[in-house]
Amino acid sequence: MPETSYAVLGLFNTPDALMQAIPKVRASKLGTVEAYTPYPIHGIDEALGLRRSPLGGMVLVMGVLGAITAFGFEYWISAIDYPIITGGKAASSWEAFIPIMFEVTVLFATFTAGLGMLLLLNKLPFFGHPVLSSKSITGITRDRYALALEAENDAFDSAAAARALQEAGAVEVEILPAPDRSPFLTSDYIMRTLGGIFAACLVSGLAMYFATKWFPLLPPMKYIQDQPRLNAQKASTFFKDGHGMQPPVPGTVARGYLPTATGTQEQAASLLNPLPRTKAVFAMGHKVYVNRCEVCHGALANGLGSLTAAYGGKPANLQSQQFRDYPDGKLYWAIVNGKNAMPSHAPYLTEQERWAVVHYVRALQRAQNAKDEDLKVVAP
Amino acid sequence: MQAEAAIPAGAIPDGLIEPALTIGRVTPGSLDDQVLSFPETRPPKQWYLALAITLTAALIGVGCIGYTFYLGIGAWGNTSPVFWAFDIINFVFWVGIGHAGTLISAILFLFRKRWRNAIARFAEAMTIFAVICAVIFPLIHVGRPWLAYWLFPYPNQRALWTNFRSPLLWDVFAVNTYFSVSAMFWYLGLIPDIASMRDRTTSKFRKVIYTVLAMGWRGAATHWQHYEKAYLLLAGLATGLVLSVHSVVSFDFATSVVPGWHMTIFPPYFVAGAIFAGFSMVVIVLVVVRETMQLKNLITMRHLDVMNKVILALSCIMGYSYMMEGFTAWYSMNEYLHHSFMNIISGTYGWAGWLTISCNILIPQILWFKKARSSYFWMIFVAIGVTIGMWFERFVIIVISLHQDYLPSAWRIYKPTMVDFGVLLGTFGIFFTLVLLFARVLPVIATTEVKAILPDAQPSHHGDDHHA
Repeated sequence: MPETSYAVLGLFNTPDALMQAIPKVRASKLGTVEAYTPYPIHGIDEALGLRRSPLGGMVLVMGVLGAITAFGFEYWISAIDYPIITGGKAASSWEAFIPIMFEVTVLFATFTAGLGMLLLLNKLPFFGHPVLSSKSITGITRDRYALALEAENDAFDSAAAARALQEAGAVEVEILPAPDRSPFLTSDYIMRTLGGIFAACLVSGLAMYFATKWFPLLPPMKYIQDQPRLNAQKASTFFKDGHGMQPPVPGTVARGYLPTATGTQEQAASLLNPLPRTKAVFAMGHKVYVNRCEVCHGALANGLGSLTAAYGGKPANLQSQQFRDYPDGKLYWAIVNGKNAMPSHAPYLTEQERWAVVHYVRALQRAQNAKDEDLKVVAP
Repeated sequence: MQAEAAIPAGAIPDGLIEPALTIGRVTPGSLDDQVLSFPETRPPKQWYLALAITLTAALIGVGCIGYTFYLGIGAWGNTSPVFWAFDIINFVFWVGIGHAGTLISAILFLFRKRWRNAIARFAEAMTIFAVICAVIFPLIHVGRPWLAYWLFPYPNQRALWTNFRSPLLWDVFAVNTYFSVSAMFWYLGLIPDIASMRDRTTSKFRKVIYTVLAMGWRGAATHWQHYEKAYLLLAGLATGLVLSVHSVVSFDFATSVVPGWHMTIFPPYFVAGAIFAGFSMVVIVLVVVRETMQLKNLITMRHLDVMNKVILALSCIMGYSYMMEGFTAWYSMNEYLHHSFMNIISGTYGWAGWLTISCNILIPQILWFKKARSSYFWMIFVAIGVTIGMWFERFVIIVISLHQDYLPSAWRIYKPTMVDFGVLLGTFGIFFTLVLLFARVLPVIATTEVKAILPDAQPSHHGDDHHA
């Protein structure tokens, strides 16, 4: 034969004729015998000597796998990863898992039966089969029954095959040439693509898992509860003394606890006023002085406030030489701690307000004892 | 057996001869010409008219669903204590309609009932369309359907998992599995038929579509062998599945403590009711298809007669179930259950209870008469009655049980709104739109399966149940 042929098709008009022809054609031993029919014919499997379909076993295995998968998934979630007591049942009680186990079993088994039959056993989709492009295919999917002698090797004799089919009773014979190009979308291609995607997912998933596990340089975000930490009353392996809670560095001051003006007034003499002499500071000092100090010490700080006449007290005359010579620190100490009949003003004056008052008192003292040079400073 | 062998073939008594499943001479070729030509011809004007009606209904439904999304679930009549109402009624109703298709395609296949072959395709298609309609309701009832994927157990940043002890989650798995399996079953059955259409069409456009859909099916004996095995396995799996799906749906109710729901009869009672409603819907659609598509020789009066017998049998099972409900209420001496049952027959919604009983139990008894079973008027009358009755049965179960439970201060009368009715109408529109499209696009009769049971279809020397 000059041209290679794929197979020879013989057409029959009735299933009886087909069934009677099968043993004769098989006996000729010219090639693989295959039948093409519009619907399944009873007994043709035995006549063609086909092996039993392995689909049942495949479905059984995958169905059992589905049941195990569903049970494992449900158990892991409900009893291990996210145990929540529902209806007073133990987190590991398995009875309620059965409905979903059943559904997943059916799902796995169904897709194995359907896709396993199509993709794995029948190798469909396959658009390049020579029978599909034959003239006989319109009869095969309608009402005619075809028997094919398919080439097993290059020695296939299509003329002898055609003769054998005609002798067996075929009403028409068609020689199918070998396909001249490879089919583009076959089940093998689909399976390989799907397998490749699956393998890629598996490999990258495992790689991610182990990468994050073995290389903790970039630990993934963790929940606070799971973060490494030292619980109360637990020994530390990090510090030499083994204490989890370390004492603060010497000299540390807690917020709001600055140890100013604590000792005696003499000790406080060395404190310096931290505030600059600005308009805002004087305004603040003025406001505080008017609110807190003026009633006793008087608007001019000369100890003649409006309350002194009523009570007969003798508040300090801040204009006296003694107080004009006081360092800022001693005035500050008196504001914070109080002196003689004067109570402490610390509870309701902030650090800044106290020092601002000191500035303001200094301004009052200077205003009452102004010299000629002072005018020059003010003049522009 | 010698005694049997002695009787000549012609001497079988009339009553024992299985009547032919087709009328007139039907050959594989004529079958293809009759059934597969629908997708190749232009539909008649009536088809467009019917499609316009169903599409209008579907659009009303879509509008009502859109309004629900805009306003929230408050657009419906659901309110304390009736938090489940039309949405769940319709869900159970549509899932039930689907069950007839699986029964016909799977269970009757296992029983080797050959009359199923002519109607299996349509029934399976109706299963898929009904499940599509059913799935709409839980999705819109969650209130925020764009978050409906939270129903599935998937690893998420919230570190939360679904509750596997909840029947509502079982429902998610059951309905999704049911839809996947039905679609797979349907598609596998379609492949050889689509291959036939591929090889007879003259349009290039159709050829491409059919070629892709048929996956290169060529009818090889080695393929048929695996195909038949797969079909048998799928039928077996779908049989278990169809029984489980409505059982799981009934668990939504039966595992709760609401009086009227908490009963062990619910799973079988729901399955029977589902198939009951589904068969009625199949009868309605088949009568229309048979008349309008000139398929009288393939879908014969015998098919309808058998279907009606099944409906009658299921009606009796339903009657038994209703009586068992009453018996349980009485025999349990549980005053809550007793009150709940009395509500069905004499409460505010007593009319719904009696409508259910009349439509599901009393009206189908007409089918005891052969005349009724072979009369369009009576079978459609019964089928529509059963459809209405089965919808109201779910209304009775859900609304009556919920509106008065343990806490009298919470009792309230439930009233549906127009939006509720609009969504229900919409799903009927979607269902019949899909049925109409299916009837014109795909083979309405499984030609391959019918070919295999035609006279002379199988070799004469093989098998013993193929008398010509």
